[in-house]
Amino acid sequence: MSLVAEAFMNQLAAAEPWPENAALYQQLKEDQILLSDNAASLAVQAFLQMCNLPVRVVCRANAEYMSPSGKVPFIHVGNQVVSELGPIVQFVKAKGHSLSDGLDEVQKAEMKAYMELVNNMLLTAELYLQWCDDVTVEEITHPRYGSPYPWPLNRILSYQKQWEIRRKMKAIGWAGKSLEQVLEDVDQCCQALSQRLGTQPYFFNKQPTELDALVFGHLFTILTTQLITDELSEKVKNYGNLTAFCRRIEQQYFEGHDKDGSAAASARSAKRSESDPDLNKIWSQIFTPECFCLAACQMPSSCKCVTHLGVQLVELMR
Amino acid sequence: MAAPMELSCWGGDWGLPSLHPESLTVMAYAKFSGAPLTVNTINNSWSTPKADVPVLISEDTVISQPAKILNFLRKQRYNADYELSAKQGADTLAYIALLEEKLLPALLHTFWVEAENYCSVTKPWFASRIPFPLSLYLPGKMSREALNRILLTRGGPPLYSLTEVEAQIYRDAKECLNLLSKRLGTSQFFFGNTPTTLDAFVFGFLAPVYKVCFPRVQLQEHLKQLTNLCRFCDDILTCYFKLTITDG
Repeated sequence: MSLVAEAFMNQLAAAEPWPENAALYQQLKEDQILLSDNAASLAVQAFLQMCNLPVRVVCRANAEYMSPSGKVPFIHVGNQVVSELGPIVQFVKAKGHSLSDGLDEVQKAEMKAYMELVNNMLLTAELYLQWCDDVTVEEITHPRYGSPYPWPLNRILSYQKQWEIRRKMKAIGWAGKSLEQVLEDVDQCCQALSQRLGTQPYFFNKQPTELDALVFGHLFTILTTQLITDELSEKVKNYGNLTAFCRRIEQQYFEGHDKDGSAAASARSAKRSESDPDLNKIWSQIFTPECFCLAACQMPSSCKCVTHLGVQLVELMR
Repeated sequence: MAAPMELSCWGGDWGLPSLHPESLTVMAYAKFSGAPLTVNTINNSWSTPKADVPVLISEDTVISQPAKILNFLRKQRYNADYELSAKQGADTLAYIALLEEKLLPALLHTFWVEAENYCSVTKPWFASRIPFPLSLYLPGKMSREALNRILLTRGGPPLYSLTEVEAQIYRDAKECLNLLSKRLGTSQFFFGNTPTTLDAFVFGFLAPVYKVCFPRVQLQEHLKQLTNLCRFCDDILTCYFKLTITDG
């Protein structure tokens, strides 16, 4: 958007403090979301956790279409909608929270360069694996991507998306690469990240920044998602400091906040094709994390979770 | 090491050994690492390759992309990164990714998509070095590929028109130039006093923007304000390419 429009948006953003009901939208966690989208969503969640900004995760089948840029995740804060990590970081900065203020100019340049490295290599490799590797496409991507929709819409949508991604791969020169070459690139990228991280707790020593959130999102998702083969996660596991980094961030920012083991469970299996989709939806509603604490539930009277069913039953019997 | 190596790439003008960023990167790396390359610039004959340029031919191996060519040279023990630490090697990869994501779209736009630049400078220059009748088709194809790449990688919503995409890519490119300038600071090269792979890539991307005389030059004007980057390009040209700045 133009400079004037962006300045105006920033001013609007700065005017209000972060509300309690901020929401982050992504696709359905159990059935639909793919590796790359899950990584992006986790990166944003990690970033917001690091800034101590509360946000609840809302799963919608049409999240991609609701997003202003067509990409997930996006956050709905007040009456503004912002998608993708870069603009979200800017938005949060306009509200007065920033993780990278303490860095000097050269470090900020390095941080931006490493974020581009992750986007350029890791994200593109994930997209390649999901949409250009025929086996993965047939067995995982197509079933998952169109799962909320009836036939033939599910096939049409996933073929459309596949065509779009393959066009992009061809334009940037990745279409001619073989899977081995892509895995080599992932290895190179992980090696660079591992060398940069070294023995430090975070990339810029003491404090986490958006780079840590982004790297965590991608690496954790790769490590915990089950694909056709384990080659991708093996590449990451070769670097012990990276796996330790992911574990550290998960323990510090996710387990402590009692999300539904979100980081752990969310990407657990990309391959659950046998289970009944309706049952999955019921399960995910029964065990929503918010309802474990009655007070946090958003709609106690119509909530179907097991804790509230008990309460509603008691109310009825009175 | 004794096998002769030939590089086919686009030629140069305006004081540069080549106008093509990728060709320039490979030539710069060869100079930095001391690799003995014979450079064949593409001319009007049909025998030189036109697609996938630059191309390195060594005995029977034919290698085409800059990253692969550089890898090959390193395997032949022409390594400009010998003295870099592991962290500096990682930084190299990161900055190259930054260049490709942020600077390359604007570079492609300046050369191939901006109508005035393309019609008055780029197309005649490239067409004069391609044999007829390929010269009628190939520049157009390169232009379409550049526009395609820009739109596919940067052109999604909320940017809906080409002008908005252009505004965004030039903003990103200017920010990238600022970041490079801050990283370079006052040192001669990016990692101390000897040039490395990163210097080759930065030189390859910046020198065409810096030297080629286009009618529409917003990126060049921004670059000229970053005096340390201009000094960096001039230093490499005078030290390694033995051409004076005014050579045409």
